[in-house]
Amino acid sequence: MNGQEQPATPGGSGSKDKAVLQNIKELGQISTPQAQEPEVQPFHCLTIIGQIEGHMVLPPRNKTTKYEHVIPQLVAIEQNPKIKGLLVVLNTVGGDIEAGLAIAEMLHTMKTPTVSLVLGGGHSIGAPIAVAADYSLISATATMTIHPIRLSGLVIGVPQTYEYLDKMQERVTRFILEHSRVKADVLREMMFRTGELVRDVGTVLVGEEAVRIGLIDEVGGLGVALSRLAQMIEPDAEGGVQ
Amino acid sequence: MTVLYTIVPLEDVLEGIDDDPAPTMVLKLGGLSLEVEQLDGFQAKVVRLLSTDPEHYLLPHCQPGAVIDLK
Repeated sequence: MNGQEQPATPGGSGSKDKAVLQNIKELGQISTPQAQEPEVQPFHCLTIIGQIEGHMVLPPRNKTTKYEHVIPQLVAIEQNPKIKGLLVVLNTVGGDIEAGLAIAEMLHTMKTPTVSLVLGGGHSIGAPIAVAADYSLISATATMTIHPIRLSGLVIGVPQTYEYLDKMQERVTRFILEHSRVKADVLREMMFRTGELVRDVGTVLVGEEAVRIGLIDEVGGLGVALSRLAQMIEPDAEGGVQ
Repeated sequence: MTVLYTIVPLEDVLEGIDDDPAPTMVLKLGGLSLEVEQLDGFQAKVVRLLSTDPEHYLLPHCQPGAVIDLK
């Protein structure tokens, strides 16, 4: 299509391979979102992996999603008229509650259609992010752990009072309840269920179970996710000059 | 204040937290500022991007972990 497909890099394909390897190492993904190119993909993909890093820089052994980078990316995606939809792929073990809720709120308030896909795991603070999208999917084998903050909660800078933790918990619970079909009593019962987890209380939901309680909309994979996004932008595509 | 809400045991998340982080410096690169960690005399690794233009956050060479040649 365009005459200059390859940017003039001295290393050629070798440096491209190096860049891919480095992306996998640093960000856990093969390619990073690209800025406006002649051919902009209609859908962007945001991966939420490892720990969601917030106010505290986590030690280097953690694979982290840095919220201060994700948030401006969401702004850029929202502002770019060429980007028609956003696929959010989650495989996270949780993380900073405020960073996680910030990403969830950004996703929820975007006008760009969003679909979330939980692959592998969407635990703890991953749950509000998954339900924040316009439509949520979970793969059949993926798991989501619903548990109270106290399971392995770390509080720095404030007295660890029950009331404080309870307020933090309430922010998460309320967000999930407002953005999914799950019933308040069901969610609370699962969160504080004893016996299912070894160390503490909580519930592990596998694929179909998350859909049954109304937390996630549908069991599906990449194909379903992309066709849902395509359906969401269809009216726009018909109206515009394509 | 930080509250971690995660299934990973706290001792695993915080392993190595007492190690001193590598020193960083701010690099001005074509109108934007990058906080970088110097790898050797000729290369630096991006730690964070300091910019108010959201489009900058989509540039591949501004992603955390990207290595920049200092030449």
